[in-house]
Amino acid sequence: MATEPKKKETEEEGGEFAEFLADVSQEIAQRVESLGAGGKPRVEEKKKTPVAADAGLIGEWPNIADRIIEEMR
Amino acid sequence: MSVVNYGTREITCKIVYYGPGRSGKTTNLQHVYSQLPEERKGKMVSLATETDRTLFFDFLPLDLGTISGFATRFQLYTVPGQVYYAATRKLVLQGVDGVVFVADSQSRQLEENIESLQDLHSNLAEEGFDPRTLPLVMQYNKRDLPAGEISSVEELDETLNFRGVPHFSASAISGGGVFETLRSIASLVLSRLSAPATKES
Repeated sequence: MATEPKKKETEEEGGEFAEFLADVSQEIAQRVESLGAGGKPRVEEKKKTPVAADAGLIGEWPNIADRIIEEMR
Repeated sequence: MSVVNYGTREITCKIVYYGPGRSGKTTNLQHVYSQLPEERKGKMVSLATETDRTLFFDFLPLDLGTISGFATRFQLYTVPGQVYYAATRKLVLQGVDGVVFVADSQSRQLEENIESLQDLHSNLAEEGFDPRTLPLVMQYNKRDLPAGEISSVEELDETLNFRGVPHFSASAISGGGVFETLRSIASLVLSRLSAPATKES
């Protein structure tokens, strides 16, 4: 099983790395497929801020302040 | 360490180069680093003494980009080979996904190789890994030295490779065998990618 040390076959920068990357990419693609984990990245659903039923009635900031004060009484 | 994170779509593999002092672990990482295209060159962290011996550890992050929808990173570490850095070696082994054992082919270093391999097994066991099943490949380095100074591959294999794992002859100083070794350990580690429910983190 031993392999003799290979001399640098590819002199261009990144040649050996490119081969390595290609092999690893193939390996990961196969593995991901077998695990059924492919597909599009999961997108987190944004949480919606609860809206009061009568939220539409509030139009201006002073009204909101008045309402908070009212609620606190 | 979780190898694959489905939530963040990330695959991170930690590979540790282990072996006796001066066997060529740092040289392996230096060759990998030298082959990286500029845009992928991160920072290789290397802490060495004045005499160029690894003092703490080397760390080379390899960002492979997005593969099959997963941002993929390999983290390559070396350990200091000297006997008195036992604590550092244990620390570096935490969360390891695969080990490359870099053996020094010089005949006079055979005993050091054996001791280092025993040290690896002992540290793995202490860190909660099963040394018999963790992905491992052997690299017999310094094959470029004169034949009279080095043990044969068969002898090294018989003495060190009792698990019968893949082994590679190498001359890390010229780059020979370095990527073959890395490709082999990467393949072994990736073949163990598992769903989060079955993988310890």
